[in-house]
Amino acid sequence: MIVPLEHLLILSTTLFFLGLVCVLVRRNLIMILIGVEVMLNAVGLTLVGASSFWQQLDGQIMVIFLMAMTSAEVSISLAMVVYLNRRKQSIDIRSFDEMRG
Amino acid sequence: MSATLMFYILGAIAVIATLLAITRRNPVHAVIYLVNSFFALALLFYLLGAPLVAAWEVIIYAGAIMVLFLFIIMMLELAPGGETDRYGPNWVKWVPILLLAGALGACTLLLTSLDPTTADGVPRWYASPRDFGYALFKEYALAVEIVSFQLLFAAVGAFYVGKPESKRKGRGGEA
Amino acid sequence: MLALVLILPLVGGLFNACFGSRLPRPLQALIASGAVFASFLAALACWPQATGAGLHVNLFTWLQSGGFTAEVGLLFDPLAAIMTLMVTGVAGLIHIYAASYMADEHDQARFFALLNLFVFAMLTIILADNLLLMFLGWEGVGFCSYALIGFWYRKAENARAGRKAFIVTRIGDLFFTVGLLWLFSLFGTIGIEAINGRAAELDPTTLTIISLLLLGGACGKSAQLPLMSWLPDAMAGPTPVSALIHAATMVTAGVYLLCRMFPLVSLSTMALDVIAVVGMLTALYAATCALAQTEIKRVLAYSTMSQVGYMFLAVGLGSVSAAMFHLLTHAFFKALLFMGAGCIIQLAGHENNIFLMGGLRKRSRSVFWLFLIGLLCLAGAPLTDGFFSKDLILATAFAHGDPFHLSLYGLGVLTAGLTSLYSFRLAYLVFGGDYRGEELPHAVSKVMIWTLVPLGISGLAGGFLNLPHFIGGHAWLSHWLGRDNEVPNLSLQTEYYLLALAFGTFLLGWLIAHLRYHRFVEREPGPVSGFFLSGWRCDAFFDRLLIRPFRQLCRFCWQGVDLALIDGLVESFSRACFVWGHVLRYLADGKISRYLQSFAWGLLLIVSWFLLRAIA
Repeated sequence: MIVPLEHLLILSTTLFFLGLVCVLVRRNLIMILIGVEVMLNAVGLTLVGASSFWQQLDGQIMVIFLMAMTSAEVSISLAMVVYLNRRKQSIDIRSFDEMRG
Repeated sequence: MSATLMFYILGAIAVIATLLAITRRNPVHAVIYLVNSFFALALLFYLLGAPLVAAWEVIIYAGAIMVLFLFIIMMLELAPGGETDRYGPNWVKWVPILLLAGALGACTLLLTSLDPTTADGVPRWYASPRDFGYALFKEYALAVEIVSFQLLFAAVGAFYVGKPESKRKGRGGEA
Repeated sequence: MLALVLILPLVGGLFNACFGSRLPRPLQALIASGAVFASFLAALACWPQATGAGLHVNLFTWLQSGGFTAEVGLLFDPLAAIMTLMVTGVAGLIHIYAASYMADEHDQARFFALLNLFVFAMLTIILADNLLLMFLGWEGVGFCSYALIGFWYRKAENARAGRKAFIVTRIGDLFFTVGLLWLFSLFGTIGIEAINGRAAELDPTTLTIISLLLLGGACGKSAQLPLMSWLPDAMAGPTPVSALIHAATMVTAGVYLLCRMFPLVSLSTMALDVIAVVGMLTALYAATCALAQTEIKRVLAYSTMSQVGYMFLAVGLGSVSAAMFHLLTHAFFKALLFMGAGCIIQLAGHENNIFLMGGLRKRSRSVFWLFLIGLLCLAGAPLTDGFFSKDLILATAFAHGDPFHLSLYGLGVLTAGLTSLYSFRLAYLVFGGDYRGEELPHAVSKVMIWTLVPLGISGLAGGFLNLPHFIGGHAWLSHWLGRDNEVPNLSLQTEYYLLALAFGTFLLGWLIAHLRYHRFVEREPGPVSGFFLSGWRCDAFFDRLLIRPFRQLCRFCWQGVDLALIDGLVESFSRACFVWGHVLRYLADGKISRYLQSFAWGLLLIVSWFLLRAIA
């Protein structure tokens, strides 16, 4: 391990919260998805760091699955963006409130 | 230049690139910064003994996914544009991305001088692609199958959702 | 061959049920009556084999489970043979009669299908060699009678009468079921012969209780006290149904059951006494009720009840042959009476009320004479079959000699007098005087009258089946049933005294009826006759005793338990859900960013929880 685990965790946490802030603050659907990507990558960093710390392969394999899941998620969510944009001519998150109870 | 120092530099690059990415108004710019951030992360992975993951980070994230984002942004014409075309390139806007890219390039060059199997003369652990492959397709074979199904479903779902409304009512086989 | 007896009516019934409605009407009737007559002939062909222990045919094993086996087996012993011939013969005549009587009705196919199925079920009771199969027939008879009584189901009261018959007999069936299951648990078998053969092993108390349970079942089917109230109401059904079910066959099923299980029942003196008392009381009760009835069929219904009471009395006196003798003769003359009543009702223009009849003798001589034969048999006129069979029962009672049986004898004679009285009352009201009705007369078809003739002949000649020794007979029926010892052993002089007494009561009844009804006088029904008319107000009594409390219980269960408690609980729960849903819907405002914020807060909560745990 080239650095203490705490430092690595601090880095990944920072990235994660940057992504979270992006998700919460931005209103553009694309930007929200970008925030999600950032968060996922932060998690990936944590996993790789843990793998390195314990010198076990499993963490990295989790990252592979994480990437596969991300690809799936991105493909579906971008298709949704296309669909929603077609419906409302907008990708502002405020215009999608039909699910109001 | 030790690997430890490199870690902090790359970490800083990743955080700065991400910070810039999430604050951009123009989604295309955001994606560009994000690609930067992902490159930095890929190098971090390499440093942490995961060369294969690093490669995939570049290929899948920075390559495929971000290109997909760009593609959608362009397809939907979401980027506010036109200014640069009329008044020529705005060089000030290019400064941060150029700085970050330069730092990344420098780090990459420096990394090539490092032996990935040792850190400061001490042998260190890293996951060779062979071990990785064995673990993935032996212990995690079932999970691989499940994930592959998930990808198939995602493809079908994306195909269905993305079809224009008028065609959706037709038979499933129609594109 | 024996199986044919059973299967033919079933096939006829099923055929009519499935395809009957597409066939022309005469063909439906032809199939139905043909099936029953063929069954009669088959039974006749089996007759020679019925001696001694009888013919035993095992058709197939119905079900088998552990130590329990239910065979579909038939037993054709002398008792069953007599019953089979009687049922198929009388039913055949009734089918022909019905073909004419029901010619103008809708749903003839349904009628004949049910009629055939009824005969099938009745034959199942008769021929079954085990109690379970018998019970199957027992229920089948109950169902068919329900469907036939309520045949004109479009009128609510008919449907109600059908339901009443079904429910009341079902109470009896419950006793039968319990007795059946008890017998099975005791012996591990349900074969009738096996149970009868081993009945002596039981201890007396159990035996008595089982016998009484069987009596309960028999009471339900045979309309004996206290389960008698369905029979008069059952007259809502078509007349051929009344003739078939409520005269000739179904009501005698109870008697048959007791005769079948007689080796078991007879081991308990107390059970026998109870049977005798029940029979006697029913006979008396029904005779008094018959005195006051205004509808011709209800008179006959009560007389049926009364005569079946005599049969019970005979069983209770330990004389199966007397019971069977009376059962046979009664079947003949009561079928005759009911079918005659059908003719009379048609003659009078579909009028049931005897006070609106009168003078019908002039309308149709043949009906008058045939009906009169029936009435004479019922009243026990000398030399008719009813006279001999009733006399045999009374003589048996007298022969016992002790005070208990002598008092039964006394009541029996009294009832005989009453029987004679109401029979002649009926005769005078229907045939005597002038026509009082308003309806124009209808013609009666020849077929209907001709079917009465064989019954009239057997009514007159049926007595020779079991002519007592002292008038030169050979008591053939007792001998056939292997019960020679049951012929009462009285001195010749006593026999003649008894005969004279019976004749005297008959004459007395006639005399009173003659004095009272010879000339028709419109009378206001007094309190006594009103009491008798309503069947001693038994319906009202049961209503107050059972039905009203039951209704109140149901009402409580409905309104108290179901509406208030269960519905209240469920509804308040749903209302709570509804209110909460209204409150919670403000959370789901459709704003995606707010959802995402909630995620973040949740994440914060979870993380802080872990942090707190890490600190603590």
